[in-house]
Amino acid sequence: MAMEYLDKYPKKFRGTGVIKPFAATFKLMVKTVLPGRRSVCIMYPYEKEWVPDNYRGRPGLRFDRCVGCGICVRACPTTCIELVEVDDGQGNMVKKPQVNIGRCMMCGYCAEYCPVDAMTTTTDYELAEFTRQGMIYDPRRLNFDYTTDMMEVHIEEHLMSNLEKGITDQPTAFFNTDRPVLNGDKCISCSKCAKVCPVNAIEMVVVGQNDKGKDIKHPKIDDKACISCSNCIIDCPKDALKMNEVL
Amino acid sequence: MGLTEWIVNRADDVIISMSPYDVLNLPYDIGVKVWESLGGLIAWLINLIVPGNWLSEALISNEVTNGVAMIVMVLVIFIIGFLTNLTMIWEERKVLGRMMDRRGTKICLLGWGQCLGDGLKTFMKENVTPKAIDNKIYWWGVSLIIGTSVLIACMVPLSPRWFIVNYEAGLLLIFAFFALAPFLILCAGWSQNNKYALMGGFRAAELMISYEIPMLLLFAACVLMTGSYNIGDIIAYQQENIWLVVPQIIGFFVCIVCAIAESERIPFDLAEAEAELVEGWQTEYAGMKWGLIMLGDYFRGFVACALVVIMYLGGWSLPFVNQFDWYWMYFPEIVMTLKICLVFFVFIWARGALPRVRTDQILNIGWKVLMPLAMLNLVITILLKVGGVF
Repeated sequence: MAMEYLDKYPKKFRGTGVIKPFAATFKLMVKTVLPGRRSVCIMYPYEKEWVPDNYRGRPGLRFDRCVGCGICVRACPTTCIELVEVDDGQGNMVKKPQVNIGRCMMCGYCAEYCPVDAMTTTTDYELAEFTRQGMIYDPRRLNFDYTTDMMEVHIEEHLMSNLEKGITDQPTAFFNTDRPVLNGDKCISCSKCAKVCPVNAIEMVVVGQNDKGKDIKHPKIDDKACISCSNCIIDCPKDALKMNEVL
Repeated sequence: MGLTEWIVNRADDVIISMSPYDVLNLPYDIGVKVWESLGGLIAWLINLIVPGNWLSEALISNEVTNGVAMIVMVLVIFIIGFLTNLTMIWEERKVLGRMMDRRGTKICLLGWGQCLGDGLKTFMKENVTPKAIDNKIYWWGVSLIIGTSVLIACMVPLSPRWFIVNYEAGLLLIFAFFALAPFLILCAGWSQNNKYALMGGFRAAELMISYEIPMLLLFAACVLMTGSYNIGDIIAYQQENIWLVVPQIIGFFVCIVCAIAESERIPFDLAEAEAELVEGWQTEYAGMKWGLIMLGDYFRGFVACALVVIMYLGGWSLPFVNQFDWYWMYFPEIVMTLKICLVFFVFIWARGALPRVRTDQILNIGWKVLMPLAMLNLVITILLKVGGVF
């Protein structure tokens, strides 16, 4: 009888298990009361957590730097960016990105892929609005006054060709390496590529004359100025241009 | 007139002759002086308009002064208890928050105003009553629970001069009223026609039979040691000899466990186990009824802490300063209140550290652990008493 009882309720000193949680809670209380360590709670509207400069807040735009190439539009996973025409302050209508913050998922790809570092991440995360219309940030509103250099985030890729050569310290971005190349047979000299180039890197040069005596013009791409936006490739009516991807 | 004189200066001989107390009672004194100022002013103003009228004389007569003083006295005692209670709720919020790595509430006066805000919120709520309840028991149950809780909270004296009645069976009476609540909780739980409430009521009864007997054994040991049921005498004994926590250290710890169970706080809040039963026996009490029940719970916590302080921690006395007049002039009420808050800190600590016990565990703890320990405490007390140590 007694042995059965002891087997069922093994003999051990009861109550010692109580001491440990008491010690743990007291330790935590002393820690949070003493100066030097605050509790995990912060009084949110009145005090805010520190965020790093490259924190993925809403996208910001430096209006003057933007060339309107549209890479951000194509990079956006949620297609919340579109190019709209705005006055640049000197009477010219220029194309700049407009962001629908309600659909934005704050990935920061637009800032990473921007070849001229006009698009940046920002530390602004208080984006509540009363209407859906208020969620749409036009190019002027995308401006963020406290933009720092750290908010320019860059895409960094190691090229396979570099790695094969043993070069591991030269990460680069596709807009430094990839350039459009022309298939001269298809080109019809329409010079549309030169018109759509946002950085005026394409110059039409005369390469000969056709049977009727008219000039044959082919685009000549300035490799230094080109930002690899592929607008010329997209707009080419005869698919004469294609991107030469450096791998 | 300075504060010192104001406290020391007894009411006029005439008023003393009709005072129900043979010693200085500070709340009564406050009442008399409030009416001497306020009623005297009113009487003087009326006398200016109609000289020599009967109303002015009646207002400052001994009988009216006595009556108003009694009312003000009760109000003062209740309000001080109430404010202590709110402070304890605040203490619980802040300490528990720190134990959980939070900050606790920060609303108004470092968070103290949150209690008032909560009270106001429950007061504004709609008074919802279910259809199929036992109406009389439903209302009388909750009224009596709240009523007895506030009653025993007002019966706790804070100092030799801060009491309502200096009755000989004081501690026994507090215990008697304290033990009334589980029965009323059972009734209230049954009357609500709700299975959760009924289970909560049963659990309250079950809880009661496990903690009440060790608690009364501890009480017996305390009374054996001090030789009196009177709270003032118990504390006077501890003041002259030694705090009972030293000879009855086992009893002290058992008493804290029993006091937590008696005030139905975590880890012994079986009757109101919000994780298992919706809100336990309070399920169908909505709005201000629930708010008052919570307030009553904290009043009971206040009394449980006060019992620990009275029985083991020397009440309003402090060692080394007992012989000084300035201590008895200003501090006894404050010291008593602070000691109550300190014991309540232990309650909060237990709440932060321990999970809720099961129903079978509380019976095991009550009958197999607390009861033998309380017995041991009683035996030690008797041996000490017979051996003539104290």
